[in-house]
Amino acid sequence: MSPPALGRALPHDSVLHRRNPTVKLAVSSVVSLVLLVPVDPWTPGLLLLLALPAATVAGRLGARTVLRAVALFAPFALSVLAVNAVTCPGQVVWRGVGLEVTTTGLSVGGALALRALLVGVLSVAFTLTTDAGRLMTSLHQHARLGPRATFAVLAGYRVLEQLPERWETVRRAQAVREPGRRPGAPLPRDAGALARAAFAVLVVSLRQGERLAVALEQRGLGAGPRTVARPVPLDRRDAALAGVVLGVVGLVVVASWWTGVLQTWADVG
Amino acid sequence: MIATRGLVVRYPGAARPVLDGVDLDLRAGEHVLLLGGSGGGKSTLLRVLAGVVPRVVDADVSGGVEVAGRALPTDHADPATGYLTQDPADQLVLPTVRDEVAFGLENRAVPASEIGPRVEAALRAVNAAHLIDRRTGDLSGGEGQRVGLAATLVTDPQVLLLDEPTSLLDPAAARGVAAAVATGRTRQRASVLVEHRLDELPDLPPRTVVLGDDGRVAADGPTARVLHEHAARLAALGLSLPLAAELRAAGVASLHALTAADDDAGPGTDRASSAPVVLRARGVHVRRDGRDGLHDVDLDVRAGRVTAVVGPNGSGKSTLLLALAGLVAATGSVVGGTVGSVFQRPEHQLLARTVRDEVAWGPRRARRADVDALVEATLGRYALDGLADHDPFRLSGGQQRRLSLAAAAVCGHDVLLADEPTFGQDRRTTLACGDALRALADEGRGVVVVTHDLRLVAELADDVVVLRAGRVVARGTVPTVLADDRVLAEAGLVVPPAVAAAVATGRPVRTVLRALRAATALSAVRSADGRPPTLATVDR
Repeated sequence: MSPPALGRALPHDSVLHRRNPTVKLAVSSVVSLVLLVPVDPWTPGLLLLLALPAATVAGRLGARTVLRAVALFAPFALSVLAVNAVTCPGQVVWRGVGLEVTTTGLSVGGALALRALLVGVLSVAFTLTTDAGRLMTSLHQHARLGPRATFAVLAGYRVLEQLPERWETVRRAQAVREPGRRPGAPLPRDAGALARAAFAVLVVSLRQGERLAVALEQRGLGAGPRTVARPVPLDRRDAALAGVVLGVVGLVVVASWWTGVLQTWADVG
Repeated sequence: MIATRGLVVRYPGAARPVLDGVDLDLRAGEHVLLLGGSGGGKSTLLRVLAGVVPRVVDADVSGGVEVAGRALPTDHADPATGYLTQDPADQLVLPTVRDEVAFGLENRAVPASEIGPRVEAALRAVNAAHLIDRRTGDLSGGEGQRVGLAATLVTDPQVLLLDEPTSLLDPAAARGVAAAVATGRTRQRASVLVEHRLDELPDLPPRTVVLGDDGRVAADGPTARVLHEHAARLAALGLSLPLAAELRAAGVASLHALTAADDDAGPGTDRASSAPVVLRARGVHVRRDGRDGLHDVDLDVRAGRVTAVVGPNGSGKSTLLLALAGLVAATGSVVGGTVGSVFQRPEHQLLARTVRDEVAWGPRRARRADVDALVEATLGRYALDGLADHDPFRLSGGQQRRLSLAAAAVCGHDVLLADEPTFGQDRRTTLACGDALRALADEGRGVVVVTHDLRLVAELADDVVVLRAGRVVARGTVPTVLADDRVLAEAGLVVPPAVAAAVATGRPVRTVLRALRAATALSAVRSADGRPPTLATVDR
C-alpha cells in the first residue's frame, strides 16, 4: 500500500470509498455540530468507541491507521482537556501550583477532548476514502458549487501537490549559495533562510497559479452551461449511510439523556 | 481562419512596441512555423491570437485581428481556438488524465455519453492512450505535454496555437511530442507553431513566417525556402537550425569544407590523466524515496576539465550532482575543494532583491574585502551590468540563467556543478552558457554539467559519464563516448545530426563544431541585420 498523499484516497476499495463525497462531508459536519451540545464525557466517549471500529471496517483503513489518527489528534485533545480542567468553575478536586482542577472542568474538558478525537477520526476516514477531484465534481453536482470555485480549488490543489518538492528544491538551491557551507551540513533553518525560501516558493507558485488560471479559462471554463463527463453517483445507499450514522448518533444522545448522564452547556452554567 | 492587419502591441512601460504592424493570413489547412528572436514577439503574437493579450495580460493592442471568424479582443476565450504552452505543469489542471482531457468537452456542454469515446480517441491520436488512468501529477514532462495536447485537440479546434511545446523536454520526449503535434495539422484547421529546436525535430510545418527585430514580418514562405534563404539571419536570432540550413548559414556545402586549425584544446587523454583532481567521489550511494537513486558511483573531477553527465530521465544525474554538493544524504566519500552549484531553474536559487545584491551575496557572506570591484567585474563579464538594479525575479529566462551562473562563479569555488543549465533556453543562451562554463574550466576549475543536449556536450565537454538506473554504464573522453553507438542507444540518447556529421568527418568533433559556429557567426556579421551570438547580445 502506498503512503497516503494529499487529496488522494487510499488505493483500495471500501464501503466508504464508494459513498458520495458530499454526503460523507455533510454527515461528518452534522456529527461534529451535534457534538457541540453534550458536555459530558459519556456521550462523545461512546460515539468514539463506536466510530473507531466503524471507520476501520467501513473504510478498510486498518486499526494501525485509525490509531495513528487518534495519536495525531491526541495532543490537541489533551490540551483542550487541560485548559478546561483548570478554567471551569465548579467543585475543586485538586489544587496546586496556583491552579484549581474542578469536576466540571474535567467533565467539560473530557467531553471536548473526546469530541476532538472523534472529529479527528471522522476527518481522517473522510480524507483517506475521498478523492479530491471526485469531491469537487460532487460539490459542483450536489452542493451546487459553481464551476469556477471548484476548478479553482483543483488548480490550487495541483500547486499544493508540488509544494513539498518545490520547497525542498528551493532550500537546497539556496543553501548551496552559502560560501561557508560544509558539504553534508543540514539545510539552514534560521528565520532568514526560511523566509527567503518561502519567498521564492511563493513567487514561483503564484506565477504557476496565474498560468493555470489562464489554462482553465482558455479551455472554456465559465463560458456557459457545462456537462459533467463522469457524474458522481448519489443514490439510496448514500441515504442509508447518512441514515445509519445520524440514527446511531441520535440513539446515543437519547440513551445518554435517558440514563441521565447527558449534560449540556445549560447544565454546567 | 487567421487574419491580422497592422497589428501593433505595446506592453505597459515598454520603450517600443513588441509587434509593430504585423499582417498575417492563414486559411484553413495552412500550418505555419513562426520564428523570431528571443523577446521578438512570437509568444506575444500567439497570445494575441489566443485572446490572452489583452484580456488577461495587459497591453495596448491596435489593428485588426480575426480568428476563426471572430474579431478579437473578446471577453471570453474563443471555443474554436486551442492554445498549448511550454510547461505541462502550467496547463494540467485536474488530478487525473481522464478528467483533464474531458475538461474542454464538459465546458462546451458536450453530452456526457460522447465525452468518454472522444477522450479516448484524443489520447490515442497523441499516442497516450495508456496514460488514461494516470494521475497528472505523476506524468513525466513528455507524457504531460502529450496529455496537454490531447486536452487541446479533443475539442477539435479550428485554430491551433502552440508555443514551444517541446522546449522543456529531453530530445527523445521532444520527438514524441513533435510527432503528436504533426498529427494535429488537418485540412480543416489552421495552426501556428513557435519552435526553436529545428535541428532535431522532424515534421516541420510547410509554411514559415519570420518575425524581425523591428516587430514586423521579415520573411514568409515555404519552410524549406525560408530556412535556406534566411539561414544566416535565423542562426543569428538564436535558433537551432536543421543541419542543411546551418551549413548554409556558415556558407559551406559540408562540414568537410570547414577549414580550421586542428584543435589545440582538444581533449587528449594525457591531459585528462595529468590534470589535478579537485573533487574525488568514491562509492557514492544514495537512497531516495525508498529506492536506490545512485549505486556506488566513482567520479574524478579534474581542474580545467568539463565533465558531462548524460543519461535518460530518472537515471540519477541530478542526484549525483546533489551528492557531489553534499546536499543529499549519501554513503561513500566525496573529498576535495569547495563546490558551487547551479540548479535547473534559476529562480529557485534567487536570494536578493536586485541583480547586484544577488551577485554580491556570496562574496559578502564570505567577508571578501573587494566585494564591490568583484561584483562590478562579474556583472560586466556576464553582460548583466545594464540590469544591476533590476529585480532578479523579473528578468527573462536567459537573463536569470546568466545571473545564476554569475552568482555561482563569483564565489571562486574549485568545482562548479550545473544541472541542465540550458534547460528551456534557445541556442543563443545555450552557447553563452556553454562559453561561461568553458571559461570557468579554462581558469582551472573543475566543471560538471548534467545535460540532455549532446550538441552541448560535443561543443563544451572533455569527458562524459553515462548513467543508467543509477549506475555508471560508460565513461571516457567525448570522442570515445560519442562514437559508441551501443552505449548511446542503451542510454536512450540520440546524437543530433550536426554532431553525427561532425563525428563522420573523422576530425576532432569539438574542432569541427567550433569551426561551424565561427563560420556561422562570421556570416551573421556580414548579413545585413544579423549579429553574432555573443553573451552581450543574448537578450535583445
